[in-house]
Amino acid sequence: MESVRNARFGTAVAYVRTMAVFIAFWWAVSVWTSNPALLPSPLAVIEAFVDLVRDLELFMHAGISLGRMLLSLALASLLAVPLGLVMGLSRTFDEVVDPVVELLRPISGIAWIPLALFIFGIGNALPVFIMTYAAFFPIVLGTVAGVRGVDRGLINAARTMGVPRRTIVTRVVLPAALPSLLVAVRLGVASSWTAVVAAELIGAPSGLGYAVEWYRELLMTPQVMSFIAMIGVLGYLSDTALRALAQRFTPWAVDALSAQ
Amino acid sequence: MSAWSGRLSRNLMLPFALIVIWQAWGMTTGSPRTPVPTHVVTAALQLVASGDLLAAIAQSLGRVFAGFAIAAAIAIPLGLAMGSSRGVERNVDPLVESFRPIAAIAILPLAILWLGTGTPAAVLIVAYAAFFPMVINTVAGAKRVNPTLLRAAATMGLSRFKVIRTVVVPAALPSIGVGLRISMGVAWTAIVAAELAVGAKAGGGGSGGIGQMMFVFYAYSIELNRIVVCMIAVGIVALVLDRLLRAGLRFSMPWTAR
Repeated sequence: MESVRNARFGTAVAYVRTMAVFIAFWWAVSVWTSNPALLPSPLAVIEAFVDLVRDLELFMHAGISLGRMLLSLALASLLAVPLGLVMGLSRTFDEVVDPVVELLRPISGIAWIPLALFIFGIGNALPVFIMTYAAFFPIVLGTVAGVRGVDRGLINAARTMGVPRRTIVTRVVLPAALPSLLVAVRLGVASSWTAVVAAELIGAPSGLGYAVEWYRELLMTPQVMSFIAMIGVLGYLSDTALRALAQRFTPWAVDALSAQ
Repeated sequence: MSAWSGRLSRNLMLPFALIVIWQAWGMTTGSPRTPVPTHVVTAALQLVASGDLLAAIAQSLGRVFAGFAIAAAIAIPLGLAMGSSRGVERNVDPLVESFRPIAAIAILPLAILWLGTGTPAAVLIVAYAAFFPMVINTVAGAKRVNPTLLRAAATMGLSRFKVIRTVVVPAALPSIGVGLRISMGVAWTAIVAAELAVGAKAGGGGSGGIGQMMFVFYAYSIELNRIVVCMIAVGIVALVLDRLLRAGLRFSMPWTAR
């Protein structure tokens, strides 16, 4: 116990020390270049961050981006989980659908941006479409893999006891596939969060990606860096939240999860 | 034989049906701009024949390889050091973990600010995107070394550098290979995004590559068929890169073949 606490304390000290060195180095370089538009000092960035927090602009854009992500994640899961479930359960269905999935998958969500811009125009629909697309493939593949990985013995046992097929799916297959499904959702979130920045940067009138680009055009670099930091923080927080969710709902598979 | 041909027909059924539906839908909506498969094929033939498509792909690939090489040159030694020394890991890991959640595209505005809208900014984005999967997989690989081998090497009085070279690196290679493959996929996505965004923000005066090409077809000449050709090309290149890298890894490390 004592040694665990010590190790944790040591890690925290190392963290603070490393970030302090990084910030000192950054500050030194910013003094040396002395061009606040190119590289503002850490202090200027913190000031800008506080200002953006105070007039709620940061939260407004973050809320918009997060809302889009949640919407796309819900859409992608609604499409991908049932599809993956059926693909994993039925070989024939898999043989029919899998080629389309495999043909579309290499085309990254970002490559859809120009065409989607033309179809949807600049607005909410474009980032939601791109993010849904980006989250869809990891979730489908993870669900299929999870369903395929279910212990055949469990399914056979349920069948022997005369459990109807539908109950087997809801009571045996889904719980057994849940850990790999949650990993898939985490991958989906990561890839859609990357895509939202690109989509908003190019074709949305709001959101974090838009704000970054807006302030770059104004050459207000401290604000640019504040928004970039916010993108990182939210990406980190959403991953942590999903990890906690996985721990809560599939505590038996936590080791397998953290290994991925 | 019949089982095999049955499977093949099932495999082709849906893609074929979708293409037919797409063609029918495109022809009935009647807008001459609507992309349809036949026009996409014509556009593809034109773009390939004129050499524009291949030149754009070559330019993007050049940037990907440059960024990838820079990332590997930093990430692999760093990952080995982090994986084999607790102290190095403790001190460097906070930086890696702090920057990892920041998507490569998010730093594009900074890259444009610092390096302009040319190749260096694109290469920086690729290197940044490729860096994290490489570092994390290298660390994981270096940690998976059999401790008995490390102790044996220490007993024989090998220097630290020699231990890394002769014990840690061979053990970490399969994991490094996985990191390289993931990075390559991420790098290719990043270059398309970077070129698209540079194209969008530089007002068409950007710097070429497949992403820029797509943006020009969107914003200036409005040729949706050609955009679709570019999208398919992006997919094919992603697939070919992954297969080539996988084959290369299997060839150079046959013992990891799965």
